[in-house]
Parts: sequence; C-alpha cells; structure tokens
Amino acid sequence: MYPVQLANRYLTSRIIPLIAVAAVALCVALVVIVVSVMSGFLDMLRASGRTLMGDVVISYPIRGIPWYEQLIDTIEKLPEAQAATPLIDTYGLVRMPYPDGSEKEVVTANVWGIEPQSFNRVTDFSKALYWKPPASPEAAASMSPDDLRLKLSDKILNDGLNLVKSDTGEPGLVLGMHVSIANERMRNGSYRPRYPQWFMPKQSVTLTLVPISAKGTIAEPRERVFPVVNEFKSGVYQIDKNRVMISLDEAQKLLRMDAGTLYDMQAPPNADGSLPVLGTSPAKVSKILVRAKPGVTPDQLQTAVFAAYEKFAYDVAADPSKVIKAPRVDSMNILTWEQHLRDLIAPVEKEREMMRILFSIVYLVCAGLVLSIFWAIVQEKTRDVGILRSVGASRFGILWIFLQYGLVIGAIGGLCGVGLGWLVIHNINFIHETIGQDAPAWSYIASFIIAAISFAMSVRGMTTGVVLSTLLWSVLGFTLALVGVGLMLHRGTLIWDPSVYYFATIPDQVDWFTAIITWCGAVIFSVLGASIPAAKAADIHPVRALRYE
Amino acid sequence: MSKFLLEAKELRKTYHLGRVKVPVLRGASFTLEQGEWVAILGSSGSGKSTLLHLLGLLDECDVDSGGVWFDGKPVADLKFSARNAYRNQSVGFVFQFYHLLPELSVLENALLPNMVNAGMNWFSKRAQAQQHATELLDAFGLSHRLTHRPAELSGGERQRVAIARALANQPRVLLADEPTGNLDTKTGGEILDLIAAKHRKGLSIAMVTHDPAVAARADRVVKLVDGCVAQ
Repeated sequence: MYPVQLANRYLTSRIIPLIAVAAVALCVALVVIVVSVMSGFLDMLRASGRTLMGDVVISYPIRGIPWYEQLIDTIEKLPEAQAATPLIDTYGLVRMPYPDGSEKEVVTANVWGIEPQSFNRVTDFSKALYWKPPASPEAAASMSPDDLRLKLSDKILNDGLNLVKSDTGEPGLVLGMHVSIANERMRNGSYRPRYPQWFMPKQSVTLTLVPISAKGTIAEPRERVFPVVNEFKSGVYQIDKNRVMISLDEAQKLLRMDAGTLYDMQAPPNADGSLPVLGTSPAKVSKILVRAKPGVTPDQLQTAVFAAYEKFAYDVAADPSKVIKAPRVDSMNILTWEQHLRDLIAPVEKEREMMRILFSIVYLVCAGLVLSIFWAIVQEKTRDVGILRSVGASRFGILWIFLQYGLVIGAIGGLCGVGLGWLVIHNINFIHETIGQDAPAWSYIASFIIAAISFAMSVRGMTTGVVLSTLLWSVLGFTLALVGVGLMLHRGTLIWDPSVYYFATIPDQVDWFTAIITWCGAVIFSVLGASIPAAKAADIHPVRALRYE
Repeated sequence: MSKFLLEAKELRKTYHLGRVKVPVLRGASFTLEQGEWVAILGSSGSGKSTLLHLLGLLDECDVDSGGVWFDGKPVADLKFSARNAYRNQSVGFVFQFYHLLPELSVLENALLPNMVNAGMNWFSKRAQAQQHATELLDAFGLSHRLTHRPAELSGGERQRVAIARALANQPRVLLADEPTGNLDTKTGGEILDLIAAKHRKGLSIAMVTHDPAVAARADRVVKLVDGCVAQ
C-alpha cells in the first residue's frame, strides 16, 4: 500500500501537482470546447435539415413530377411513411416595399410553393412561423415586455399557416426572417421591426418567377403582388436569409406547372380551327417531401419510397388515360434528407474530424507537460527512491508510485477540464454576448485599482529585497494594467457571424462522447508522460540515489 | 554451516567515473557473528561505506571479485525479490543524514518497512505493526512526536526515528553508517546508548565510523585503510 500512500502524500503536499492538473485541465477543456461547438453546429445543421426537408426527398426539378397526388397517396399508404407533401422549389425576385419612393429594393430568393397543411405535417412549419402569440403564460412571461408578439392574435398565425390573408382572401406569402432588412435581432434572440412601419406582415411584396419549359428554355417571367402574411425562422441563417413561401397553386400558376389541356401539335386543326385534344396535362411539382413514422429510419423509408415510386411509374405507364407519363425511377432523385444536404453537411463533418485530429496534438502536449513536470519531481525525489529501496521497496513499487501519480493527475486534470469545458460551453452565448458589448466601466477601473495595488506590493518587495515577491507582483500589475487598457479600448467584437456559420446562436451542448474520449486520452497520455520518469526512478541505483545531491 | 551471520570475503570493488577507474576495496574481508557489534573504522575514502553498502545489498553493482554471505548463503545468488526481502527483513540501515521521507510523519516513517513488507495485506497487518512501531518510538522517547514531520524534529530525534525505522521489521543485523556523524557529542552518545541497548538484547551490528571514541563502544573494531583491512 506504500505506493498509494506516498503518491497521495506527494500529490497533497506540493504545488507542482496542482500545476500539472491545471495544465491537463486546460488542454482537455480546449478540446472539449472546440469539438463540442463543432458537433453542436453539425447537430443543429442536421436537426434543421430534417425539420425543413422531412426524411426523404423525391425530386425531378425542371420537368416536374406529374400525377403527384397519386404518388403521394401511394406513399402515404406505406407503413413506413407518416406524411408526404408536394413542393415547388425555384428561384425568383422579390420586390420589397422599401425604401420610400419608386426605386424599391429587389432581392433574389429561393421560392418554395407549398401545400400548407400537408407541409406542416411533414416539416413542423407552424413552429417555424415567427409572428404568433405566446403559446402559454409561461412563454409570455419569458418574453421582453416590449416584444411585439405579446400583442398578436392567432389570426396572424393562421394566415401564415394557410398562406392566405384572411381579411381579403388573397393568397399570401411568408418571408424568411432575414430576407428583408426590416427585422432587427435583439440580444435575447427575439426580433422587432427596425421601424414601426416596417412590420412586414402588414406589407406587400411583388414576386417574379421565371417559368422554364421541359426543354429548358425560359418563358416570359410572371409576377404577382402578395401580401406578407407572416415570417418564419428556421434557425439556419442561409435559409432564413433566402427563402420565401407561397401556396403551391400560386407557384404552379406562375411557373406554368398547373394542370391544362394537352393539344396534338402535329395533327391538322379541327374544323373550328382548334387543335385536337390529346388529353390532360397534369399539374406538376418539383419535389415531394416525405416524413417517416416514429422509429423508421430515413434509409428504411428511402427503400420503401423507391419501391413505391417504381409501382407508381408502372401504374401511370399502364394507364391509357394518362398521356403524360411519370419519369422512370432511375431518372429520379430519391434521397434521404442527409444525402440531399450532403454538400452542406459533409464539409462540416470533415472540418470537425480535422479539428479532432488537430486537437489530438493536445494529448501530446499533455504527455509532454506531465513528462517534464514528473522529470523534475523524480529529480527532486531521487533520494526518497534510495530510502525506499533501502527498506526493501521493489523497482515495480517505485514505478507504481509515479505511475499512480500520473494517473491521478490525468484523471483529476481531465475531470476539471471537462468541467471547465462544460462551464464555458453552457455559457458560451452569454460569453459571446459579453464580448460583443463594450466593457463596463467598473471592469477596467477594478483592473487598474488592483494593478496599482500590485505595483505598490512590488515596490514593497523591492524595499525588503525579496526578488520573487517583487517579480510576481510586478507581473500581476503589468498584466492587470494591460487587461484594464484592453477592456477600456474594447468596443465589442462579433466572433460568431451568422452569415458564415448559418445559425444565429452558438451551439451550447457538450459533446459528451468527445468529452469522455478526451478524458480517457488525458489519463492515458498523462500516465504515458509519467512512465518515462517513473521508469527512470525505478532504475536508480539505491546507493547513487541516497548520495544524490 | 558458517559460524558467521554476515561475512565478506576478499571484496574488490572499483568505481568507474567516466574513463577514470577508482579502486575502493582491494580485497577487504569482514565477519560479523550473531549478537556481535563490530565497528568499521577508517578515514574518509577508505572504503568503509562501500563495504557496508555491499554487506547490505544497497550497492547492486557487481564486485570485481569476492562476495558476501548471509547466514552462510551467498547473497549474490539472490533474485530481485529476495534481495528486496533481504533489505526489508534481514538488515536495517541507519544513515548519517537520517534519510527520512519528509512527506511522512514520524510514525509513518517508522512503519515504512512494515508497509513495504505487507504489500496489499497492509490493512490487516497495520494495527499490529503500528503497535510495535509506537512502542519502539515510545522507548526512544518520541511518543509526543508521532504525528510530526521530520522537518519539525531535532537531529537527534530524526536519528532516533531512523533507528526505529531500521528496527521495524526486527532485522538480525543493523548496518549503521556514521550514525552519530551529524550529531553533537551528547546527542551522539544518546544514540549510541540506544544502539547499545538493542545490542544487549541480541542485535548484531556493523557500524561504520571514523571516530575512534565511537568505535570503542563496539565489541570489535575492524580498521580499513585504502580498501584493505589493516589489522
């Protein structure tokens, strides 16, 4: 038991182990913070992607998917599928109601034509709508008293959900929260109109879409004025900045993807001059989003949807009344939401793995720190090793004393590091907000006062001739004076730019898998770092150890 | 069976300091009978401490020639674990500079050989060992110092703790290297009295000293000059 007792005494009676623990803790905290933010970022990206896209996406962008109602019926009968919704995904121009005068701002937008009810079943659209009254008294209590949503009724929410302005019955449009410049984001994450007259749900915008033929040629653009009925906030900045939503019917009309009569252009005209009718050209959509039932994975649903589409295409091909046939299954894109957003998710995944690998160097830093600290400890304890050998301690016993020492430093340092990481991650948005503001006057005044006291203590050290005290107080004084100047000059720094990182808030959940792995790494590498000095100690010749000066 | 408890025959030992060879023992022989107190007297550099270290297996490096026998058996044949056990149970060391562990209390220092010997069974043997160590320290007048650290003790008290530690496992031989060399005459005399009391109870002692007055307390004196026994 003497290795345990001695390791315990060495740990608790000296300051060096505390320095080693602090070094390991900082290394571990660094890895935990960086990788947790990256993982949280990836999780938010995935969660948002799934919320916005459903689980499986069927797409056939330019020509569109005909007879989509039949396909949706087929899919919704699948045991794996919970709901499906048709969608038109295109690009257009939105003419904003500002500024005053005739020269209005025009922005490009990703336009989604949706069927609101089924879309809500697949994507939780209602949760994304921003302008709505608080859901509960508790939610209302958590809002700022001047939050505009406290004054809203359910009407604005229902208008957004139905994409109709209920007052007039006009088809409405929902803007992404950042499409217009009208909304100002508050520090608590809420929004308010930059100017009272800029409350977008009381405004109208003009949407221009460009129909594209099956052959890929561009037809004459069509435009329509839409009252803005609500705005949505998905949490993904790029989407909130670019996307607008209108009803599927309106999108189909504007893009000429609605149902119509199909004429035979090759046949001679009828007696009345009209062309012979071949049949009906069905309405089309560019995508169908499908949500899986709980417990069904996107991959399982994808397989089922693939089979359902094959059957659907076969049924349409076999139906003589349907002149327009469905595209063959091998020309369709049937992807899970993750595959669909691969271009967005893959680089982030790679970046996270790269961070993990790069920050693994921290383990080597851990090992190096522990090695150098233990080297010094073993030098200092050489005579103790000789004493222990003189009373019969084995080489393994000596080795075990120092390995335990390393083990405990790694374990405690790792735990402290995980704790520190958790603390920082948990408060990362607060820290970011604080850094983003001017430093309060009390902070730099306090720094200057403590710096002055430190300098006074340093002078006192000089007069009494104590070098260490003079040096430490001087270093503290200079550091605090620099901190004070830094705080005084600080004017707020935006580190997390939502336009770069997609999300308006920094992920604040610890990646516990990474935290545990990092802790294990810290323990292993601390033991490895301790092993060389420990082996050196075990090999010390008893007589030489006793004579060590 | 040898009549000697501890015996060294024709020991030759050379230290290699870089390219320089320093012969320390040049065929030194030594014997210690059961219950005998032998003083090894010599000037500085005569090889007396080296002889003591070889007798106690503290110097694990090979000798040039000769050997050491304990209870008639050559210690050179002992395996690593048996050498550790030899240092732990057969002999006890007392050094000039006490060599106590500064992080441990007086009682813990005195218990150290017991802890090493007990290994994982320490908890079951602790009470008995603690009682023995406490009695020993009490006999040495240190009962009021049990929880003190070595840094809080005087030189004489430290040496008494070192002797208590050396006797913790009731060894057959006490190997003392200048035990009074760092103490004033009065305190040194007290330490020698303690050692003498243990000797009277049957403890065999090999004690290195350069002081003829200290050597005079022993049953027999072996004089070492330039690595050879002079008498």
